Amino acid sequence: MGAVSERVEIEIAAAAPGVPLVRHALRGLLSGLEVDDDVIADIALAVTEACTNAVVHAYRDSSGTISVTASHADGALTVIVRDHGTGMAPRVDTPGLGVGLPVIAAIAQSVEIGSPRGGGTEVRMRFALAGDAE
Amino acid sequence: MTNGIDVEHVNGIDVVTLRGEHDLSTATDVSRRIDSALETASGLAIDLSETTFIDSAVLRVLITAQERANERGAGFAIAVADTSGHGVHRLLTLTGLDSKLSTCPSRAGAIAAASAG
Repeated sequence: MGAVSERVEIEIAAAAPGVPLVRHALRGLLSGLEVDDDVIADIALAVTEACTNAVVHAYRDSSGTISVTASHADGALTVIVRDHGTGMAPRVDTPGLGVGLPVIAAIAQSVEIGSPRGGGTEVRMRFALAGDAE
Repeated sequence: MTNGIDVEHVNGIDVVTLRGEHDLSTATDVSRRIDSALETASGLAIDLSETTFIDSAVLRVLITAQERANERGAGFAIAVADTSGHGVHRLLTLTGLDSKLSTCPSRAGAIAAASAG
């Protein structure tokens, strides 16, 4: 049997109510993959922090959308959180603690932050789906 | 589990119980309920024993609540129990804030600690 690959794409308004929707969609994907509950919880936390960063920092006083793509292959999950805003500029009135990226980095196998063509910010995270994976 | 925020008056203090998942989408409401309790209560316990998920936006609310309680001289404690979700424990550990927040392993312990504060 070949490697199973599954993919979820979701686009939300860049606003707080969209954050749990992404988390629930990811859990839906992972619940069918025999992934340990604690691993799912870790991924949910990291992706929530990435989405929160996008909601808080991407558009400031304007509106926009955030797209999230999650794809599963070869024992790993890759999640890309992409906005089309002004980038992750520092914000003194942030509702967070500034710990979002360190939390993501601690959980993910790898995290890359880029400025894709067309503007905005892209956070690409890769997670091992087995608890003992490197 | 249904998400929710309950506020009760127990043993002379206010107890704010967060049920289910809380993140940026509920952080403002959580903050409002805690701020309201801190205006009058002699102590505040925040019960996370039925909380399955929090993110850093909610963690910031908890830290601010502890700071405000300390400024007012009010008792303060947070219940982080075995029944709290993995994500709750994980976030506290990863941020190192498990050692900076006043936590107790049970709701009863947090209420007792906040009452004695």
